[in-house]
Amino acid sequence: MSAPGGGLIGSPAPRRKNRELLTGEGTYVADIRLEGQVYARVVRSPSAHARLLGVDTSEALRVGGVVAVITADDIDDIRIPIRLPFAESPEANAVLQAPLAADVVRYVGEPVAVVVADDPYVAEDAAELVSIDLDELEPVLDPANSTESSQPLVHESFGSNTIGRLAYRYGDIDAAFARADVVVRRRLRVHRLAAAPMETRGLAADYDPGSGVLTVWGGAKVKHFTRALLSRVLGLELTDVRVIEVEVGGGFGTRGEPYPEDILIPLLARRLERPVQWIEDRWEHMVATNHAREQEHDFELAAGADGRMLGFRVRGWCDHGAYVRTQGLLPVVLPMVHLPGPYEWPAFSMDLDAVLTNRTPVGTYRGPGMTEATFVRERMVDILAAELEMEPADLRRRNLIPAESMPFSFMPGPGSGAVMPIMYQGGDFVTAFDQMLDGAGYDRMRVEQRQARADGQHAGVGIAAYIEFAAVGPFEEVEVIGGAGNVVVRAGVGSLGQGVETALAQIAAELLDVPLSGVTVEFHDTAEVPQGFGSFASRSTVLAGNAIAAAVDEMKAKAAPLLGCGPGDVEFRDGTATAPGDRSVGLGDIGPTRGRFEKEGLTASFGGAVCSVSVNPADGRARVDRFALAHDVGRAVNPRLLRGQLAGAAAQGIGGALFEEVAYDEHGQPLSVTFADYMMPTAAELPDVEVTIIEHGSGSNPLGIKGGGEAGMVGSLGAVANGVADAVGDGAEVLTSSVSSARLWHALHRPRRA
Amino acid sequence: MKPPPFAYAAAGTLDEAVALLDEAGEDAKLLAGGQSLLPLLAFRLARPSHLIDIGGVEGLDILEEQDGSLCVGALVRHATLERADLSGGWQALREAASLIGHLPIRVRGTFGGSLSHADPAGELGVVAAAFDAEIVLRSLRGVRTVPARDFFLAPLTTAADPDEVLVEARFPTPGTGFRSVFEEFSPRVGDFAYASVAAGCRLATDGLARDVRIALGSVGPTPVRARDAEQALSGSFLDDTAIVECARLAAETCHPDAGDWHADGTYRKALVSHLVERALRRLGAGP
Amino acid sequence: MAGWLDPHDSVAVTLTVNGAPRKVRVPPRRTLADALRDAGFTSVRLGCEHGVCGSCTILLDGAAVRSCLMLAVQGQGHTIETVESLTDGDELSTLQQAFDDNDALQCGFCTPGFLMLIEGLLRSEPEAGRDRILEVVSSNLCRCTGAVPVFQAALNALAANRDDP
Ligand SMILES: Cc1cc2nc3c(=O)[nH]c(=O)nc-3n(C[C@H](O)[C@H](O)[C@H](O)COP(=O)(O)OP(=O)(O)OC[C@H]3O[C@@H](n4cnc5c(N)ncnc54)[C@H](O)[C@@H]3O)c2cc1C
Ligand code: FES
Ligand code: FES
Repeated sequence: MSAPGGGLIGSPAPRRKNRELLTGEGTYVADIRLEGQVYARVVRSPSAHARLLGVDTSEALRVGGVVAVITADDIDDIRIPIRLPFAESPEANAVLQAPLAADVVRYVGEPVAVVVADDPYVAEDAAELVSIDLDELEPVLDPANSTESSQPLVHESFGSNTIGRLAYRYGDIDAAFARADVVVRRRLRVHRLAAAPMETRGLAADYDPGSGVLTVWGGAKVKHFTRALLSRVLGLELTDVRVIEVEVGGGFGTRGEPYPEDILIPLLARRLERPVQWIEDRWEHMVATNHAREQEHDFELAAGADGRMLGFRVRGWCDHGAYVRTQGLLPVVLPMVHLPGPYEWPAFSMDLDAVLTNRTPVGTYRGPGMTEATFVRERMVDILAAELEMEPADLRRRNLIPAESMPFSFMPGPGSGAVMPIMYQGGDFVTAFDQMLDGAGYDRMRVEQRQARADGQHAGVGIAAYIEFAAVGPFEEVEVIGGAGNVVVRAGVGSLGQGVETALAQIAAELLDVPLSGVTVEFHDTAEVPQGFGSFASRSTVLAGNAIAAAVDEMKAKAAPLLGCGPGDVEFRDGTATAPGDRSVGLGDIGPTRGRFEKEGLTASFGGAVCSVSVNPADGRARVDRFALAHDVGRAVNPRLLRGQLAGAAAQGIGGALFEEVAYDEHGQPLSVTFADYMMPTAAELPDVEVTIIEHGSGSNPLGIKGGGEAGMVGSLGAVANGVADAVGDGAEVLTSSVSSARLWHALHRPRRA
Repeated sequence: MKPPPFAYAAAGTLDEAVALLDEAGEDAKLLAGGQSLLPLLAFRLARPSHLIDIGGVEGLDILEEQDGSLCVGALVRHATLERADLSGGWQALREAASLIGHLPIRVRGTFGGSLSHADPAGELGVVAAAFDAEIVLRSLRGVRTVPARDFFLAPLTTAADPDEVLVEARFPTPGTGFRSVFEEFSPRVGDFAYASVAAGCRLATDGLARDVRIALGSVGPTPVRARDAEQALSGSFLDDTAIVECARLAAETCHPDAGDWHADGTYRKALVSHLVERALRRLGAGP
Repeated sequence: MAGWLDPHDSVAVTLTVNGAPRKVRVPPRRTLADALRDAGFTSVRLGCEHGVCGSCTILLDGAAVRSCLMLAVQGQGHTIETVESLTDGDELSTLQQAFDDNDALQCGFCTPGFLMLIEGLLRSEPEAGRDRILEVVSSNLCRCTGAVPVFQAALNALAANRDDP
């Protein structure tokens, strides 16, 4: 085991890419121009739910410049599979999406045909001429009501709008409620959101009939899975499919999953034997790319008069949209494992339904499931605090799992379904919680709040504490190739603009004792990098980083015989492997070395957010004046990049709370299809997010790192909602994660519940 | 999101523009700053057969007082208007211009385009309504003038015929001592407002409000004058009671069907009352 | 009188980009953003194509505008600057350096648009105060950073320019 010392790991090394990006040189997928390239345009369903009686492509085919038009009739009857075995079920597998709709369209935006032309403008003209004959059906639009028998079925053949119910029982819940002094119960709603990266999705594909190789640019996140899928559905050898990642303008969980287009565009390139490019436009993006978060929960919390939380019961409905996509049941699995959070519950009982509606499918968006669960639980904790007239921070601290109880688990009890057990490997939540409050200057926030209130302002402070499960396995592999003055690391993770290449270079440079500039990280091309699972669940640095550590150990083992010593005696110094007695070999002489890091289960880390909020009751506007977050990353490989990730994620979360919403009308027509309607925050609406990095290590991997890329999001919806609720006090009840000015104004002017 | 096909011509003079527009027929459109038309084309919500680019037409960018009116030419850019050296009475016009979208939009967007586009949330239409601006239209058939109250017919619909070019608007110069302000609520900086108010009055030496003008935006199919509110305030002091009552009456003017999924009518109505109060307090506070 | 250009006919337009004339052939409907990208200026990025995100911001006669809301034919006779013009040889400009120092970029997709937006402000309003700078920075969207670091970079760059014009 190489013992990482001080130095590069933990240093705020600058981002590697910046220069290229600042000068505008970076190549994104839309910048690719291949000889003879043609352009694809997807024809999409204009209806939320309808029988597809026919698709007439004849008029489109007559447009000058049109090369091809395909419909479901022209391709094999395939479904896009679930990528993660633990998120599969027979029910989920029964409602997977085909690349092109054949008999029924189930959401506005569902692909029905693809037009290919020699110019993107012409492709769009022709796409308008594809005529779709529809027989309208009633759409299902409300997740919580979707299971009622009066509702139509999204998938008639499946026979239900519920594709699964997860049950998790822990402890004696009836006893907990029986001995409670106080029970609070609310119905809470998490609104639909979109990750909306600035760059839309896009692909370029080229098939070389000579060599039989299909090359796809624009892959991201899970390139190796996409490659395997393409090889299967297109009947090509795995080695004849290359998926290349170019510069990516933000991913946030939605980009890089295989979508219908990821099959259609390569398929067309192969069939036409011409390079085909498809660039999603923004309207398409808002209906075609995964949405996230929408769910509703009936939550009951039992507590003693002293503030000891005794248990909770939750019944929830988690929307999956019209199909289950590559992430399977994660939209219901992830909220479940995150609902208990950092508190020492004696008992709980959770029943969550995975439901279908006639809207764009739901997938993961930064901090998936955990952000929703944290909003629900933390809002309830504040409602309890108000009921008990307790200080919200005190109430939380009193209930946090103490460090002595670690490792801790809520093992599923009788009555539970096949659920993933909730286990925390370690951590000191109480200390971390106080570090967070100190970092935020919580006491001062409260003093300022009292002053503002004395001045007649509606000022509030909101807290949210959470557990984030991240760094999911099963493994990552890297290859390390030493050379004179340069070390190449090939990894199967993706970049997506997070700066993972910089962090990985830091790890390799420190372990091999070479300058940072002497390390090149390659991850762009599946033809060059070993296997990989990709970049999601804040796993890239943890898994690939530890795989580098494993490769370095392997290099020692290989160097030992060359040096005539034992592997334990090999040390890396200044770009060479050295043995006692001044013997040394160059890194280049050791040969390429592979390292693999396997990981079971998920790593739990603690974090939270605190914010101060002011509300103007006259217009309903809430402003987040300060936002401070803390997250236990185990060990920060690059604190500077990490801060950027955490603050950026928090900005998205604040925007989600205050402005953003994916809305539909009563016919299932999407309303948030422009950036004027899907309102992301600008610099003028955001505070400067303050970040406290907590480094409580982690026993579960040699480098001691936990995930960090998403954590800034997790507490955001909960903290902002709690801050707003605190600001308005008895004036209104905050029961939705959206606290837009209109919602808040209405809440403030609605007659109060009894 | 690529524009549909259209024929294109650039006009060098107003005469040319008018002739080209006449020649191209019903489905032609003028292109000024493009800040409303290009998004409509991108979404293919507009499919003009011909576009006549008037961006290069000479003489349409006048901004000066003539014969008792402020003339604002069709090609005056929002960014020019927001920084224009106008007297206090026109403050609302400057403030309104500064609230349109973002700077890069205002650099291109034009006064005439804004009025012609007739978005009920358009700030400049609200000011035109408040000041009883006269809108000058020209076609091969001649020149005519339409008062603001008859110009806006419905969302994105005006009294201008398809062959008419909006040349300028004339804002009658108010009496000395008249002041005006513009207030709006938009969710984020630069968004289309959920509600907006142009308000102006002259505080006579006796302290009483005269020549009261209040116009509202985003609360109906067109900009609308809050006549009852104006009347109630006329001849009274700008004190708390009068302001609150005036704001209440102004809110009653909101169209019952106003609103969308972002902000429904009830909420917009409350915003109007809040904004009118704010505007009147500013007027009361003096320059 | 200027003649009509048919919908599907291409016309030669000379764009002056970063100081050099560029001849492009475009049909009337081609946007300026697409024409610039086709001419190799791919730093002009398309995030929305309807004027809201600002990724396509360029300088037109020195002022920041959305190139997705202009037709290429409207570019005739105007001076266009893209981010490629900011760098002097290998040297990053003060503004670019301020972006780097303030971590004002992550994925970099929005970066050229923000740089041109703020470059326009630096030139036209070198004395702009904090509120004005914030208002102008809020013209564009950055999903990765939330753009508060961009605002900080703009503040620093304007201050640096004032100290060392
Ligand atoms: C992101 C964004 C935000 C915006 N925010 C706002 C806002 O908050 N408030 C607001 O008011 N506007 C807003 N706008 C729109 C902007 O104000 C436009 O500038 C304005 O609405 C139209 O002016 P234009 O010169 O760009 O007109 P164009 O887009 O060129 O034309 C608009 C319409 O008017 C017609 N037209 C133009 N000039 C004439 C003329 N002289 N005679 C007859 N017809 C003519 C055109 O044929 C077309 O139908 C926003 C736009 C964007 C892209
Ligand atoms: S692409 Fe032009 S503003 Fe978004
Ligand atoms: S850096 Fe990614 S959008 Fe701004």
